[in-house]
Amino acid sequence: MNKEVLKKTIKEYYESAEEAQQKNRPNTAVILYYKCLVALVDLFLLKKEGNTPSSHTNRFKTTKEKYPDIYFILDKDFPYYQDSYQKIMNKELAEAIKEDVQTMANKTGTRIP
Amino acid sequence: MYKLWQTKPELEYPKTKIIDIIQHGSSTKTNNPNDIDIAIIYKNTPIKEQLTETQKIKMQLEKHTDKPIHTTPYDYNTFFDEGNFAMHNILLEGRSIITGKYFAEKLGFTPYTEIKYTLKGKEKKEKIKFNYTLNGKQKKYGLLKKYGGTLIAPGLIRIKPEHEQIFKEKLEKQTKITITKTLIKKKL
Repeated sequence: MNKEVLKKTIKEYYESAEEAQQKNRPNTAVILYYKCLVALVDLFLLKKEGNTPSSHTNRFKTTKEKYPDIYFILDKDFPYYQDSYQKIMNKELAEAIKEDVQTMANKTGTRIP
Repeated sequence: MYKLWQTKPELEYPKTKIIDIIQHGSSTKTNNPNDIDIAIIYKNTPIKEQLTETQKIKMQLEKHTDKPIHTTPYDYNTFFDEGNFAMHNILLEGRSIITGKYFAEKLGFTPYTEIKYTLKGKEKKEKIKFNYTLNGKQKKYGLLKKYGGTLIAPGLIRIKPEHEQIFKEKLEKQTKITITKTLIKKKL
């Protein structure tokens, strides 16, 4: 995937997540912050590996093998992204995932709004 | 090994913040589960910290089994909320992997599975066969003695939750059964 496409996606997810958080829609915020996190991980992998993973399985596999600190974040937040379709989330949880987005943004040198 | 409460793996976790680590779901009842569900009950711990500690525990547990581990943090203050759909299963079947005991025991209860059956309309030889299955024959143990179950009324037996599957498999072949789960107040 193209770096510019990823950067555009990251910005779009982040801004929409912020909007959802402001409107007190934590389920939407959790989904969008996590998608933003995944896009940032892909950007990181693109920089390091020269390509982006083709699936969640590959993303988890590569990070688990080569970048355990990133795998830790990705795997830690994943259950909440999955649960957000069927459980009520809260603002505090969305905020915790937002902090991980910030951590990944720092790792990739990405400025998020 | 899938029944982690039996092995009680040694774990590093903040003992002042975690009330219990509980195995629940199908892995407490079957011998070859698809995955292992773990509930972690926190007290007065910010969500961000719950997420991090939960992931650390998950990674430690993964070293003790080849099955995927699904860990979920719960806040004790909201654990009993109606919206917590996992609460009933955790209370009725959950076993602490720290102490090996039922989580419900911490709250003063013992969980049981009750099986109701009827032999009405069965032939005498079928009734005898059913009785042998439950109570044994000559020197051979029946299910009740083998797994520590009790006949609490005619047509009603009470067993430990983890033996539900074996009773279900054996008894369903012979007659119609109904399964319910219950918490009994522990004797003081």
